[in-house]
Amino acid sequence: MGSWKMKPVALGLASFLIILLAWESVVRLGWINPFFISQPSAVAATLGRAARSGELGRNLAVSLREFAVGYGLSVILGILAGACAGRFRTVEYALDPFLWFLYSAPLIAFYPVFVLWFGLGVPTVIALAFLLSFPQIAASTLNGFRNVSPGLIRAARSFGATEKDLLWKVALPASVPMVIAGLRLGIGRALMGVVVGELFGSTAGLGYSISYYGGLLKTTDLIASLIVIVTLGVLCTQGLSALEARFDSWRVED
Amino acid sequence: MDARPVVEPLPHIRVESLTVAYERPHAAGKLIAVSDANLEIARGTFVTIVGPSGCGKSSLLLSIAGLLEPASGCVLVNGKRISGPGRDRAVVFQDFALMPWRSVIANVRFGLELQRLPGLTADDLTARARRYVELVGLTGFEHYHPHQLSGGMRQRVGIARALAVDPEILLMDEPFGSLDAQTRDQMGSELIAIWERNRKTALFVTHGIDEAIFLADQVVVMAANPGRITEIIPVDLPRPRSVNTMDSKRFIEYRQRIRGRLS
Amino acid sequence: MRLTYRTLISTLAVAAFLAVWELAPRIGAVDATFTSRPSRVLAAGLDIVATGGFLNDVSVSLAEFAIGFGLAIVIGVPLGLLLGRFPVLRHLLDPPIMAIYSTPHLALLPIIVVWLGIGMQSKIAVAFVGGVIPILVNAAAGVRGIERSWIVAARSFCANRWDVFVKVILPGSLPGVILGVRLGLSRAVLGVVVGEMYQSQAGLGNKVMRYGSEFRTDYLLFYVLLISLFSLAATTAVRTLEEKLWAAGK
Repeated sequence: MGSWKMKPVALGLASFLIILLAWESVVRLGWINPFFISQPSAVAATLGRAARSGELGRNLAVSLREFAVGYGLSVILGILAGACAGRFRTVEYALDPFLWFLYSAPLIAFYPVFVLWFGLGVPTVIALAFLLSFPQIAASTLNGFRNVSPGLIRAARSFGATEKDLLWKVALPASVPMVIAGLRLGIGRALMGVVVGELFGSTAGLGYSISYYGGLLKTTDLIASLIVIVTLGVLCTQGLSALEARFDSWRVED
Repeated sequence: MDARPVVEPLPHIRVESLTVAYERPHAAGKLIAVSDANLEIARGTFVTIVGPSGCGKSSLLLSIAGLLEPASGCVLVNGKRISGPGRDRAVVFQDFALMPWRSVIANVRFGLELQRLPGLTADDLTARARRYVELVGLTGFEHYHPHQLSGGMRQRVGIARALAVDPEILLMDEPFGSLDAQTRDQMGSELIAIWERNRKTALFVTHGIDEAIFLADQVVVMAANPGRITEIIPVDLPRPRSVNTMDSKRFIEYRQRIRGRLS
Repeated sequence: MRLTYRTLISTLAVAAFLAVWELAPRIGAVDATFTSRPSRVLAAGLDIVATGGFLNDVSVSLAEFAIGFGLAIVIGVPLGLLLGRFPVLRHLLDPPIMAIYSTPHLALLPIIVVWLGIGMQSKIAVAFVGGVIPILVNAAAGVRGIERSWIVAARSFCANRWDVFVKVILPGSLPGVILGVRLGLSRAVLGVVVGEMYQSQAGLGNKVMRYGSEFRTDYLLFYVLLISLFSLAATTAVRTLEEKLWAAGK
């Protein structure tokens, strides 16, 4: 039983090792020019140097701050908008076409408009992060409200629940798992907004640094920053997934 | 009023030519769930409603609960026409309808919280909820969540939640419908034991004929298309009842009579 | 009754939005340089469509999308089915795939440009990367969602491996595959557009960036809305297909 459960983990670790080994070997064997893909040892050395010099910390701090503001606004306004729409049919119908558009349109194409409105740099990056994650969180919250089991509402009504009781004691707690799922999906989108916003126009941040080193054709530094972004994405998503799993146990009651 | 001779005590529940209709989801016209039902239930009796699926037995019960708006006719409790759910009635649901985010004790407290009884503190409510958790034999499971419990245990929570608000009338909508046969029999015996202690007026919907007879003072038999009451059979079996009751000659006679009525 | 109320409110909300957008600059509440106006966007659209270069941009972007996303389907679906069928392969590839899935795939733009240059190839690659991961993941999930009992039932009728694959696994995983295609589609469109916005010589995204830097909001917005419309229409088409499949499945 124990070995069975360890197998996926072992295979997963093995796959990363294989990738790193293959990557290092093809370069060392001279099959691929390191100019294109660099090599793990060089990337690791660069990461270490960037961490010591403080460059990594600076870029990380800039990106994280933009992310925190944009995503934070999304969380507050998204849950609020979703809950309002979930509570009042008319609000839902009025918001629906806009949410649908924001959710499925390639919003990053609006980037130049944001630059016009907010100015180049940090404000536009925050706006992108917000706008990308907001519809996801609002839609998930609304979904949570919509999918509250009618049986639970009926049970609450049988004990004399008022409309306010239904909101606070049934609809709100019942939609928590969906809200958290929305928060998890929103993280990826907010991160996308930060990275792309920085890619296009900024003077610091992880997205800026991949664009900057890309322009200089310094592949090793580019890949080092890319790895930081990947790690950040994985950590954020895993964290929220863990939170989600805690609520998942009572999400489906048969 | 005083001049009226009291021939019979007022029935606790009175259903007067009740008709319940649903909107059809994808068709015009309405689906008649219950058609012109008349029923009187005396205080302190245990009445079961039995019938095939689609006969409107649940609709009848939910109308008495005040959860369904009748198309015509009305329900009177203590002689007063009801207009919605009330403190005098509590419902036990087939799908348990427990709040999955609340623990056992918090679920039992749920109804108490909603009733906002004056002068009771949060601690009072918890203490009272704990008594009912004990009554249904779930002591030790107070802090479990519904998904950690078996079906039988979940329905004990449902029953405790309903009893905790101390209703005059207990309405049970196929409460053991999703339990396996053994658990079902055991829950039936426990329910009747609890009921014999306080003799609340009880209305119990089921599609099991044996269950209906075993629990009841009176069995209401319903038929489908349209849903209607076809017969009301008083059950004259001595209480307290036990498993042996089901082997008695009279029990078998009741069973044959109801089965004949249903087919 | 409810449906008409819904349509009414939604239409009113959109109409109100358009009205405010049109009127606010007219009464001087906002600067039309920044917000433009619906009527001006429309006029810009007519102007753009009449110009010769428009069709060229559309065909460049469409070609990048079609090739990139087509490759994503051709490679993603079979690979996803394999991953779903063979647990060892899945455990081996799951961590890197999940790592890429939780990373903003557009972060790969700079390195792709280093590899493939600023021509169409780099956009095709970004569209491919954006599309392939959701297709792969959901196709694999589709296979895993197949009930064991269906396979056992097929075997009981003497089905061989090929029969099981064609008659059970392929149709059984179809809902997952289509879901992946829908999710991948919008990511692929985004990849093409943002790729063109980042560095390119032609295409709709290229024009978005150009008109942006020239402060010609009306032209810019026409392109953005056109791209959005394409993305919405394509996604809706796949969703309709999906709902038909679900309905047929039941």
